Amino acid sequence: MRSFLRFEVRRALSNPVNLVFLAGFPVLLYLLWTKVLDLASGPVSMVSMATYGAMGGALFIGGAIALERSSGWLRQLAVTPLPAHGYIVSKLAGGMLAVLPSVVIVLAAGALLGGVRLPAATWLALPLLIWAGVVPFAALGVAFGYSLKGQSATIAMMVAYFVLAVLGGLWLPVSRMPGGLRTLAEYSPAYQAGSLGWRALDGLAPTGTSVLVLAAWAALFVLLGGWRYRSAAWR
Amino acid sequence: MLELTGLKKNYGEITALDGVSLRVGEGEKVALLGPNGAGKSTLLSIALGLLTPDAGAARLLGRPPREALAAGRVGVLLQDAGLPDDVRVGDLVAAVAGMYPTPSILADPELEALAGRRVMGLSGGQRQLVRFALALAGDPALLILDEPTVGLDVDARRSLWRQVRDRTVVFATHYLAEADDHADRVVLLAGGRVVADGPVGEMKALVGGTEVRLTLDTMDEPRLRSLPGVHDVLVEGASATLRTGDSDATLRALFAGFGDARNVRTSEADLESVFVSLTGKGA
Repeated sequence: MRSFLRFEVRRALSNPVNLVFLAGFPVLLYLLWTKVLDLASGPVSMVSMATYGAMGGALFIGGAIALERSSGWLRQLAVTPLPAHGYIVSKLAGGMLAVLPSVVIVLAAGALLGGVRLPAATWLALPLLIWAGVVPFAALGVAFGYSLKGQSATIAMMVAYFVLAVLGGLWLPVSRMPGGLRTLAEYSPAYQAGSLGWRALDGLAPTGTSVLVLAAWAALFVLLGGWRYRSAAWR
Repeated sequence: MLELTGLKKNYGEITALDGVSLRVGEGEKVALLGPNGAGKSTLLSIALGLLTPDAGAARLLGRPPREALAAGRVGVLLQDAGLPDDVRVGDLVAAVAGMYPTPSILADPELEALAGRRVMGLSGGQRQLVRFALALAGDPALLILDEPTVGLDVDARRSLWRQVRDRTVVFATHYLAEADDHADRVVLLAGGRVVADGPVGEMKALVGGTEVRLTLDTMDEPRLRSLPGVHDVLVEGASATLRTGDSDATLRALFAGFGDARNVRTSEADLESVFVSLTGKGA
C-alpha cells in the first residue's frame, strides 16, 4: 500500500498534462479577464482562477479513476495484495497533492504578471484556503469515476465542472447574476470554495456559513462517492 | 493450492460453466485447454474472486480467493489487464513488487532494457512481458496465467517458461503445443464442462498413443480392428489409420497377417488429435 501511494504521488506530480490543464489554462483566463477584457479586478480574478484550476484538479481525480477502470488496470490491481481502499486513498492523495503546485502557479502569475500586492500572511493563507475549499470536489469526482467509464466520464465531468464553476461565480462574479440565480449560486459549492479566498483578500476569516455549506456539500459528495464506489469497486 | 467445486455460471442465456470441479496440488503444472468460449477465462476469474459463481465455491491456498490474494502468495497474469500509460516500466514494476511481503523483480534482460521507458510506447509483446513481471512481483507460490504467451516472440516465450519452471502453475491456453511442452496435466474444457482431465501422457493414450498409417490392396477393416493394441480404425479408400496403445505388437501382427501392407508409417499422437477426438473440433 505504501509503495503504491508513493507511486501515485510521484505520478501525479510528474504529469505535465496536469500542470498545463490546472495552471496554464486558469492563468490564460486570468490574463484574459484582467488584461485583455478588463472585466474583473486583479486579486479577485486571481483567486477565482486559482480556485477554478484547483477545483478541476480535484474533480478529475475521478476522471483518472474512470479511465483506469475501463483500461483494465483496476482488474490487475484487484489480483494484487493492494486493498480496495488503498487504490482510492492513493489516488486521492496524489491528485490532491498535485493541486497545490497549480494553485501556487496561478497565484504567482497574479503577483508577477498581474501586479497583485498582498500582505505576506495572505499569500501564505491563500493556497491553503483554496486547496481546502476544493476538497469536496474530489469526493464528487470519485462519484463520477465509479459511475461512468472512460471517455463518457470525462465528458460528464467537463460539463459538471463548467456548470459548477460558472454557477459559483468563478468566471464572472455572482453579483452580476439576477436575484434568484444569485441565491442559488451562493449556496453552490464552488462559490463557497471561492469565498474562502475572496474574503482572505480583505483579511477576513471564512464565515460560519461558508464552512457549514462546504461541509454539507462535502458530506453529500462523500456519501454519493462512497455509494458509487461500493457498487462498482474493482469493476 | 487451488480448489474449485461445482462451479456454475450463466451469462443470461449462455452457460459459461456448467458444474466444473478442479483440484490442483502443490508443484503441479496444469494447462487449461479449450476452444474460445469454453469457459477458461470465466473459470479463472471465479478462481480469483473477480467473479461470483451462480453455484459452487473456489478456494485458493486453502482460503477464499480474495484473502489469498491479499496475503500476496499468488501471482496472476490476466488477459485483459490494462497498464497505466504515463509511467515508466521500472517504477511500475517496483511499485507493484512493493505491495508484496516478498518483493521480487524479474531478472530478464529485455525487461531491464525497458525499465526507463514509458508504458505508452511499448509494443503488445513488451506490455505482455511487463504483465508477466507484475505476476511474478511477489515471488508467488502459485501462478495463474491466462493466455500468457499471446504476443510474445520465441525468445520471450522461452524466458517466460523458464521463470515458471519451479512453481505451481495453472495456465489457460489455446496453444496445444504449449500445454504439451509445459504442463504435466491437462484439463480440457468444452461447453462449460471438464471433458477430460489427466496427465499429458494419459490424454494421448485416450486416443491411442500412436497412429499407424498404411495402404492395403484389399481393405479388411474388421481384421485391422482386431489387431493387438488397436482401438480405432479409420479407412479412406485404400489407406487406413490405426490408433494403437501398443504400436510394437500392432506392427508385428500387421506384417505377419497382411502381406500386402505398404507405406507403413507411424506417428506420435499429439494433443491436437486428442482435442479433435474429444471435442469434435479443432483448437
